[in-house]
Amino acid sequence: MSMDQAVTAEGIEQAITEFVSGRVKAEVPADEDLFASGLVSSMFAMELVVHLEQAFSVQILGDDLKRDNFRTVQAMTALVARLRGVEQPADA
Amino acid sequence: MPETETLTGARKLIDDLVGDRAAEWDRAGLIPDDVLRTLATRGLLCVGVPETFGGPGASSAANGEFTAYVGSRCSSLRSVMTSQGMAAWTIQRLGSPQQHAEYLPKLAGGKLAAVAFSEPEAGSDLSAMTTTIEPDGDTVTVRGQKVWTTAAHYADMIVVVGRYGSGAAAVVVPASAPGVTVSRVPQPSGCRAAGHADVRLDDVRLPASAVLGGGQPLMLLVTTALAYGRISVAWGCVGILRACLDAARGHARSRQQFGKPLAGHQLVGRHLANLLTAEQIATRVCEHASRCWDDGSPEMVVATVLAKQVSAVHAAQGAAAAVQVLGSAAAHEGHVVERAYRDAKLMELIEGSTEICQLILADHAVSMPGR
Repeated sequence: MSMDQAVTAEGIEQAITEFVSGRVKAEVPADEDLFASGLVSSMFAMELVVHLEQAFSVQILGDDLKRDNFRTVQAMTALVARLRGVEQPADA
Repeated sequence: MPETETLTGARKLIDDLVGDRAAEWDRAGLIPDDVLRTLATRGLLCVGVPETFGGPGASSAANGEFTAYVGSRCSSLRSVMTSQGMAAWTIQRLGSPQQHAEYLPKLAGGKLAAVAFSEPEAGSDLSAMTTTIEPDGDTVTVRGQKVWTTAAHYADMIVVVGRYGSGAAAVVVPASAPGVTVSRVPQPSGCRAAGHADVRLDDVRLPASAVLGGGQPLMLLVTTALAYGRISVAWGCVGILRACLDAARGHARSRQQFGKPLAGHQLVGRHLANLLTAEQIATRVCEHASRCWDDGSPEMVVATVLAKQVSAVHAAQGAAAAVQVLGSAAAHEGHVVERAYRDAKLMELIEGSTEICQLILADHAVSMPGR
């Protein structure tokens, strides 16, 4: 997957939604709490970390590994956008 | 390639340092300090540490082959490497850039480290962990009891995993800090010289800068830290299988019974075929997992558990087969195959028992995408 065309908050959110939906085989709204819904095991959480790192060429280390950054597709989008220095809409 | 050269030289150093002394270390339950320090000073106990921090910067594939090489000679030494590498990996993953600069050069430059997970009531169920890391201004207080911490007997620093607020953290505890008591596990059944110890933490006060991360979900933190331990143990089991295969085929060629070499007897031949098969299966599954690490593929998470599971189970079976082939020739304490038999069984218990790995793999089988 090429991220060059997709490095907008919107593009990032779309790519993450595709990955998560593909893995859990269900529609995943961007604001759904993945932990509360039981969709994410600790193994899958680590897969998410490695996937985001690879797909968006970022490093997610230390404090950024906290649960809140992975709770929803929106939260992951905001994390990736911040690490890549992408401009985000005010409500992201 | 400089990396390969480094580790080629490293193999020669391992040959010189270990030689035929692994049996003696096993019986004494101790690896001599100069052996560990010589390797630690050259960064050879954690070859994955990047060159920027003074480490050899080996890929997972090169690290794995080197780990298997050490594991084929001495599983105790390989266990110490696994612990050191896991400490470095945990610091790399959870630590800030300042903490990388503080700790990684030490781990690649002579200091020894261990990682403490298990507790008396939290073995396979690490979510039952009760050790706490409590912030108090610019300090933290660590309280708890850890058990079966590999290499803790040798360690200068112990990376302790515990509860931190509503989540978890790891904290780098100097073994010499007041309130830390390290007591050896008496006569472990396998990897006897790996320095397994229980670690008591009585109100150990440390600067808050020793806390790695903080606030991550406990099981994400544990899964992350254990990933290195698992791939390392998996490669170590490849080493066990290689040692067993070499010993068994050598014996089967040279030992004569009923007027021909043992290898000429079909029931013995089957053991050799099974050993070769096991060694090849374990090698391939480890190579695949390491490729996932080196490619940064999310598949590394499951591939690592699979590698650990497959390699440990095959090592335990392979070592038992080798004992059978060698018969009385290996039936004495310290023989390479006799050690392998004990060491391999321990590998089915640690870093996620065979059953825990099976549960993870079953869960994956249920949830994995179709193809």
